[in-house]
Amino acid sequence: MQTSSLIKQSLLYYWRTNLAVVLGVATAVSVLAGALLVGDSVRTSLRDLVVQRLGRTSFVISSSGFFREQLTDDIQADPQFVQDGLSSVCPLISLEGTVTHERSKRVASKINVYGVDERFWRSNQSTHSAPDSRNVFVSPDLAHELGSSVGDSILVQVQKPSAIPLESLHSKKEDVGKTLRATVAEVLSAESLGQFSIQPQQAGVRAVFVSLKLLQRELEQPDKANLILISEAPTNSSSANTKSIEEILRKRFTLADVGITIRSVQEDNRTVIALEHDSKMIDELLRRAAGDTAKKLELQQGAFFSYLANSINAGNRSIPYSLVTAVDDNQFKLLAGKDISSSLPPIVLNDWAASDLGVHEGDQITLEYYLWQDTGQLETKTATFSLVSVVPMRGLAADRNLVPEYPGITGSENLSDWDPPFPVDLQRVRQKDEDYWHAFKTTPKAFIPLTSGQTLWQSRFGNATSLRFWSDRAPVSTEQFAQRLRETLDPTLLGVITTPVRTEGLQASRGATDFGEYFLYFSFFLVVSALLLTTLFFKLGIEQRIREIGIMRAVGYGPGLIRTLFLGEGIIVAIAGSILGVLGAIGYGALMMFGLRTWWVDAVGTTALKLHVSAQSLIVGAAAGITAAVICVAFTLRGLRKFATRGLLAGQLESDLPRTRRSRSLILGIVATVIGTLLLVLAATHAIGQVAGFFGGGTVLLIALLLFQSVWLRRERGGSLGGNGWWPVTRLGIRNTTYRPARSILCIALIASAVFIIVAVDSFRHRAGTETLDRKSGTGGYPLLADSLLPMVKDPNSREGQEDLNLRDDNPESPLTAVKFTRFRVKPGDDASCLNLYQPRNPKIIAPTSDFIQSNRFAFQSSLANNSQEAENPWLLLNREFADGAVPVIADANSLTYVLHSKLGDDFVIQNGDREIKLRIVGALADSLFQSELLMSEANFTRLFPDAQGYRFFLIDLPHPDRSAAVTAALEDRLSDYGFDVQPTAERLANFHRVENTYLSTFQMLGGLGLLLGTIGLSAILLRNVLERRRELALMRAVGYNSQHFTLMIVAENVVLLLVGLVTGVFCAFLAISPVLLTRHGGFANPSLGLLLVGVLVSGLAASILATWTILRAPLLEALRAE
Amino acid sequence: MVLTASKYDPVSEVIVLKIDNVSKEYPTPRGPLRVLSNVSLSLNKGDAVSIMGPSGSGKSTLLYLVGALEPPTSGTITVDGQNPFELNEKQLAAFRNRQIGFVFQDHCLLPQCSVLENVLTPTLVSTNGADATARAKTLLEQVGLKDRVDHRPAALSGGERQRVSLARALITRPQLLLCDEPTGNLDHQSAEVVASLLVDLHQQQETILIVVTHSAELAARVPIRYHLVDQQLQLIK
Repeated sequence: MQTSSLIKQSLLYYWRTNLAVVLGVATAVSVLAGALLVGDSVRTSLRDLVVQRLGRTSFVISSSGFFREQLTDDIQADPQFVQDGLSSVCPLISLEGTVTHERSKRVASKINVYGVDERFWRSNQSTHSAPDSRNVFVSPDLAHELGSSVGDSILVQVQKPSAIPLESLHSKKEDVGKTLRATVAEVLSAESLGQFSIQPQQAGVRAVFVSLKLLQRELEQPDKANLILISEAPTNSSSANTKSIEEILRKRFTLADVGITIRSVQEDNRTVIALEHDSKMIDELLRRAAGDTAKKLELQQGAFFSYLANSINAGNRSIPYSLVTAVDDNQFKLLAGKDISSSLPPIVLNDWAASDLGVHEGDQITLEYYLWQDTGQLETKTATFSLVSVVPMRGLAADRNLVPEYPGITGSENLSDWDPPFPVDLQRVRQKDEDYWHAFKTTPKAFIPLTSGQTLWQSRFGNATSLRFWSDRAPVSTEQFAQRLRETLDPTLLGVITTPVRTEGLQASRGATDFGEYFLYFSFFLVVSALLLTTLFFKLGIEQRIREIGIMRAVGYGPGLIRTLFLGEGIIVAIAGSILGVLGAIGYGALMMFGLRTWWVDAVGTTALKLHVSAQSLIVGAAAGITAAVICVAFTLRGLRKFATRGLLAGQLESDLPRTRRSRSLILGIVATVIGTLLLVLAATHAIGQVAGFFGGGTVLLIALLLFQSVWLRRERGGSLGGNGWWPVTRLGIRNTTYRPARSILCIALIASAVFIIVAVDSFRHRAGTETLDRKSGTGGYPLLADSLLPMVKDPNSREGQEDLNLRDDNPESPLTAVKFTRFRVKPGDDASCLNLYQPRNPKIIAPTSDFIQSNRFAFQSSLANNSQEAENPWLLLNREFADGAVPVIADANSLTYVLHSKLGDDFVIQNGDREIKLRIVGALADSLFQSELLMSEANFTRLFPDAQGYRFFLIDLPHPDRSAAVTAALEDRLSDYGFDVQPTAERLANFHRVENTYLSTFQMLGGLGLLLGTIGLSAILLRNVLERRRELALMRAVGYNSQHFTLMIVAENVVLLLVGLVTGVFCAFLAISPVLLTRHGGFANPSLGLLLVGVLVSGLAASILATWTILRAPLLEALRAE
Repeated sequence: MVLTASKYDPVSEVIVLKIDNVSKEYPTPRGPLRVLSNVSLSLNKGDAVSIMGPSGSGKSTLLYLVGALEPPTSGTITVDGQNPFELNEKQLAAFRNRQIGFVFQDHCLLPQCSVLENVLTPTLVSTNGADATARAKTLLEQVGLKDRVDHRPAALSGGERQRVSLARALITRPQLLLCDEPTGNLDHQSAEVVASLLVDLHQQQETILIVVTHSAELAARVPIRYHLVDQQLQLIK
């Protein structure tokens, strides 16, 4: 007979035991590989969502402003376009909006509003027709949310684009939105791109598809778009990347695409080239590029900064509403006609103004003007100058082209027709002012040096309103200049950004959360229990064959050969188990995915997750299961070495009760008690961190209790089991726990640890409705928060702002009385909270006003504070400056750890256009409502993101928090034009908590399953103990013990182990979470936890009764036979 | 064949154990295997018999039938006129507890219990456990283990363990003391001690002693000796 035959026959003969081992391995493999499948499935589902939602789009070109629709065709016409493997291109208008269902008045905010035409579907190789006239298509999720169907009327509200910065004097701040009425013509299916989105998101896409022409008309952006979709050829021949598309863009863009206007202007005796920008401001970047171009073309240059003065005052005389231009020093000197030396800044007036004011050289002139403050207020400022010259109205002094076109001003026929976006008192306009306007229009009445003008009026949007270039030699045409300037300019630096949306989306689909990893953690106890069962069953099998091993040894089998034989059996059994486990893994994975779509949907926020079976995960899981099982088997076999052949032949595995082990356990137990108690005391007195202190203390005390229990189980017993009846039999059963103390401790430790973790983890659970209005809580003490679709620049806390925003109400009973707003600037970006499954690459950034920083609300978990002021108020860290240019930001601790996977002090690089910004985490907020975003100082924000204007996020203080519903209704009504969406802060926080709670429930549920499986392991241990003692039990039967006595004994033994494990785990967990319990006034968040613990007890009892039944069926008396 | 032990011992008048025409068969794949065939035996209080025979002859089977651990295929066994196999499981267990004491080749002590506790084990399920501890101590004194009452079985020698099992067998004052190779695992000296104790205690307690053994020396200590051959008991004269 060969070794293999021996193995084969043994496998068949001991098939029952082997089947149990197979099932144990199968369970472990199912859970391990199943958890990995969950990770794969979530990643693949997210990837599928990205692919489905992008259609064929691989790249997008986006702009903060609008560019020519024609740019699309220009790009496609470039030979490199086809060479790079790109196939189609499509213009689009993409905006965020609010949609209202007209009949039901249901409102859906943060909707993707797309202006599209047939090219959108054509570029996606679809023949679907485009929406026409006022017919729109809606995505299925939007239709569902609104309850709308085909034929329903909806109102679509979007921000009206304006090239003029909202936070500048000349922007229209009250008229920032545009609402259009449309009819739902179709609920667009996902296959017809109804879920088109370039932003990776697992939640349903809520989008409305409007006719491109209609949207262009309504937004007053004829033939313009703000997004270009680029598709790659269907074959894999594409070599396109962001750089190659940027290269095409650089070749094909025009100055108009980036808002630059070049025109020729006739000065006195020369033609000059004038450069202006649609924003009416020229920033430093453009100024430098234009300057470089001028140098290349050997052109002279001058910069001008025109501004509106509310008054030019001298003494008691005043000229209303006049344009003043700041010119650079050389020009100013030429204009003044002399060198200037005065203590006050100089000013030059034209003779009309000087005459009107009755002033002469040397007189003081005061300019009064409006200045828009970043805080959202229009302030009137004054500046005093010394009149250095009065110039006739000719040459530069008569140039009406120095002033760019301002809406509501420059196009007016009469001064009295002005309709500027700031208050004017037209009563002040005199007939002579009208005459001047009729004669000279925007010709400036006064000139000051450029440096003075910049000091007074420059903003983050620029420091000049126009540039002029001229040649002292050969003239240069505007076309030549424009061409050279275009070559110099990089559109990516001017806000025209190319994004590889497909690549980024696929990268993001790797997920912020590795669900495979999480489910491995969640399933930890299941795996441990399964492996424990595997080990136990294998050990049972070995011990069943102990005489066989003895005989093998006796007849000359070497230890190596015996080990090989049994290991061979173990490996075959493990492989069989893993094959079964692979099937189980698919089932387990499917069950978990079903759980994520149903029971735990709050954790993922989508029902679009599907099971994807990956061979790699199955192989890895199976290999891990086999390895773990074989290690367990080898460990079991290793344990046989200590037994003598004689003992094995006699079928005896004598227990040892070494005294040294008992003493050692006692000493260690005492030491652990001291350390554990010390940690608890230190934590209670706040000498160390409470979480670490109490958890550490609880854990160490758990170890101490287990050590004491070990000592107790191994102790010599002085008393005896006297008497008769149920109690002595029960005591005998309890005494059986001391039969194999190590096994008993193993059972207790497994149950206690599982219970400790499951109960302790429950302390992290957030109870609904416990969010407080404490200023140091997660709500910061703000009862309400609000998101605004349209940026709000007016300060709703100021009287003027309230009046402008229709928030002013003199009725003291009004719900809006004494309501205070804390405003935040917003740079939209990826959601950095646990609500987003995709990996955030450019997180949303918000910036509070400085008063919020000073108010020192919210609690910090940790910060980089290194002085007492910062320690007292870590928000001050936002103002810190780092030598390496890193920008300080604050994030929520949960988002930092679980979504951004960063920690305090880490740098986080984000992309801003073509530029990288290094953010440094300087503070971590403790469980706050700021989990979706990073917080930055307003100063840094406006410097880094000048285009992100106004305030779009608000925290709201109420004098009477109980009136929050009335305030919500009033605000949403009065600020409906802004798409103002108010929500209780507790609700926002609860949304985050719901996700965390769901994760905890998942962990607890799977941990509970593991615990239940562990109780089966406990019963297996019990069964093994009983089988080992079958001679003793047989004798007991012989001397009169009946079935009830056996049941009582076995159940008592099991219940004691279970109860000791449960009580130990619960007691130590309660110690660990006592601070949380105290804050909850002893309440427990999760009643199901109690049910779980009862379930463990009941299943343990059931398993022990099963063990008893097995024992009673066994032919015990055979063990007594001497023959 | 009917054997009445008492006819060789005129002192005994009351028949306590009556084995009447008992046969025992075990089912096997090749048909029933008969181990005992129409065995009869009657023993009175204080009787002591030994049964010898080759391995597999059915000695232990007969002992187990007498001890009510398994039922005969045919025939009846009564103890004090009571047929234990007419009792339900619970009553049968109580019957064994009350009437029968066992000593096996393997002492079968509970390793987690002390010597005293092991002796007390049967009394835990007895309805009459009064003064059990005192009696256990007396028995342990009688078997020479007075100083070892708190020791664990692991601390005892094989002979000592068997003495504990003897004390345990007698703790409930059984009518029958059934011993299955009680000295089979012991060295000569220990076997001598156990054998002496067995006979002495049997006499003191006035039980019926049945010893199944291969040991001629042990068998010789018992006044009535049987040989089990061909499924039948044969008296050795």
